[in-house]
Amino acid sequence: MKPSSLLRLALAGSRTDGLRVALTAVSAALATLVILAALTVIAIPELGDRVNNERYVNALLDEPGLRGGTAITLILLTIPILALAGQCARLGAPARDRRLAGFRLAGASPGQALLIAIAETGVAALLGSGAGTAVYFAARPLLDLPGPDGRLPLPTDVLPSPVAITVILVALPLVAALAAAALLRRVVIGPLGVVRQARRTRPPLPWPGALILLGLIGTGSVLPIWRWYEARQSQPPDWLIVPIAFGGALCAILGVILGTGWISYTTGRLLHRFGRRPSVLLAARRLTTDPWHGGRTFAALLACVIVGAGAACMRGYFQIMRNLELAEMVDDSGRFVPSTDNFYLATMNLVDLAIVVALVIAAGGLLVAVGEGIVSRRRAYAALVASGVPRGVLARSILWQALAPVVPSVVLALVVGTQLVGPTIGDEVQNYNRSAPYVLPLDTIATYGVLAVAAVAAAVGVGLLFLRGSTAVEELRTG
Amino acid sequence: MTILRARGVVKSYGLTPALRGVTIDVAEGEIVAVTGPSGCGKSTLLHCLAGILRPDAGEVLYGEHRLDTWSEKMRARLRRTEFGVLFQFGQLVAELTAAENVALPLLLAGTGRREARTAAVQWLDRLGVADVADTRPGEMSGGQQQRCATARALVAEPRVLFADEPTGSLDSRTSEQLLGELVRVVRDQRTTVVLITHDATVAGYADREVALRDGELDPSGLGLTAIQGRHKR
Repeated sequence: MKPSSLLRLALAGSRTDGLRVALTAVSAALATLVILAALTVIAIPELGDRVNNERYVNALLDEPGLRGGTAITLILLTIPILALAGQCARLGAPARDRRLAGFRLAGASPGQALLIAIAETGVAALLGSGAGTAVYFAARPLLDLPGPDGRLPLPTDVLPSPVAITVILVALPLVAALAAAALLRRVVIGPLGVVRQARRTRPPLPWPGALILLGLIGTGSVLPIWRWYEARQSQPPDWLIVPIAFGGALCAILGVILGTGWISYTTGRLLHRFGRRPSVLLAARRLTTDPWHGGRTFAALLACVIVGAGAACMRGYFQIMRNLELAEMVDDSGRFVPSTDNFYLATMNLVDLAIVVALVIAAGGLLVAVGEGIVSRRRAYAALVASGVPRGVLARSILWQALAPVVPSVVLALVVGTQLVGPTIGDEVQNYNRSAPYVLPLDTIATYGVLAVAAVAAAVGVGLLFLRGSTAVEELRTG
Repeated sequence: MTILRARGVVKSYGLTPALRGVTIDVAEGEIVAVTGPSGCGKSTLLHCLAGILRPDAGEVLYGEHRLDTWSEKMRARLRRTEFGVLFQFGQLVAELTAAENVALPLLLAGTGRREARTAAVQWLDRLGVADVADTRPGEMSGGQQQRCATARALVAEPRVLFADEPTGSLDSRTSEQLLGELVRVVRDQRTTVVLITHDATVAGYADREVALRDGELDPSGLGLTAIQGRHKR
């Protein structure tokens, strides 16, 4: 097959296929923008150890010790974006499956049909990363606004190397295509349709709990290790602390996401056991039939909640530090000039903003998943409505299906996020020879939980707008 | 006694007319087959009679009640309590077992789960598929799925069953088996049936045939059974 034919077939499809390509491209564009922003931060020249550049308004860009963290935070933002892309890839899947089967019926080999499916994602991601790069270059002169002291709000005076930009432009579509290939590895495209080989016959087990435990032990050991080295007048090496801290956090986050399968299944079983209403029964059966649905749809959201809970712990720590600092300023006003500015709390505001943005993107992915779930079941839904089942029952079942596993999962994510960071802080906070007990900021932590559940409820609420159209009598016409 | 009446029913989809003033009466306990070529308005007539669609003009009466003036909520309640609806395919909820699918109308009516399941299994047994009570639709054959759908349409003991090409996706042998069982059950229950089909064999199971052509009653009066002969029962 010629590349031009491959391109034509990959992008030929219905409006839903077009929407999937467009959303995949938008996700790729967002990811490209975020990665380029991170690379720009990394490209700021190092003037020496602990030497500020004195070129930027924000210390996160100006201080060499903070730039790494800023870049990592930006790169972390790609997680919900990639999750959104993953959800978009599922949009209109039944229609795409029929189209692929049509290619097979017309004589395409299984490999060619697979290539067409992979090419669709790859081309969409290429278009997106191209658009993202174009937006990046177009936005740079517009954002180049030096203040009266000549300092810049953003690093618009530096550029990542051309090699790095090219690598992003090429690697992102390649990764997207490989991810599409991985998702299709259990799919057999035949002339009569697409068959997905069943993956799991057994219900999920709670083994991700072990991952969470391992992760927490890892991050919990950071402080004792630190103290051990401190007692010997030295500092632990980076090769020891960084893998333990980051590996532990990653392990715990993965455990929470994978644990959603078990939580969904168990919630479904409980609902089935104790639920009385048909909407609850419908939701319960869906949860036990496909317990991994939650893991797929809530992954990014749960990652945001874990990071949010950890950030809330850090904010609590910085707030106590600030209180101690202010107390010192009051007692020793001759030495200090009282100031309302606090770098750490201001930075936490930026971190919170990034987490809320990530939550919104994750909710977008959830919205796509809810809409897709409704549209793919439209015939069964339409038949139920025609039989007199009120749409409210179906709407409530969708709400139950989303909220029942998400509430315990979010609680688990909050606990894990808190336990990842809390033990590294210790019981006491010290500043200016003053100390105060460390108290968990439960209200801030709870706010993240409420925000996450509200985001899910809002996404489901908007997704339910598809229900009326999907239960129209036209869905029942036999053709 | 007439249980369902359509008087000069008109229905269009945009500028395309589907029904152009159809008038029919259906007597209680009667099995009526509505036949005609594709696109003649059979399904639209069934949807209007069942209160799924509201006609643009004309009247639909269930007993003495004008269904076409009722709200969607009232019509939905009627479909849940008095009517059963059976389609060609796709009506079972994929995640529920056969027994749960059949029990769904009873659960919606407020029946307890244990009681609803017992009734569901009894209906599955009457239709010869009790052995798949705990099986999900994806693991059943087309015939088994359609029997489950039939059981679900009948479990609430409706006064009228609307069936839109109920055997359209089945092979002829399975189709005849299902129709035989369906007719036996509805005769026992004295359920009125409005059956949409383009198959003479299926129409042969009905007491009476109403032929449609281009959205109107066929003026020739010659339905499928008149042309091909009635099915021997």
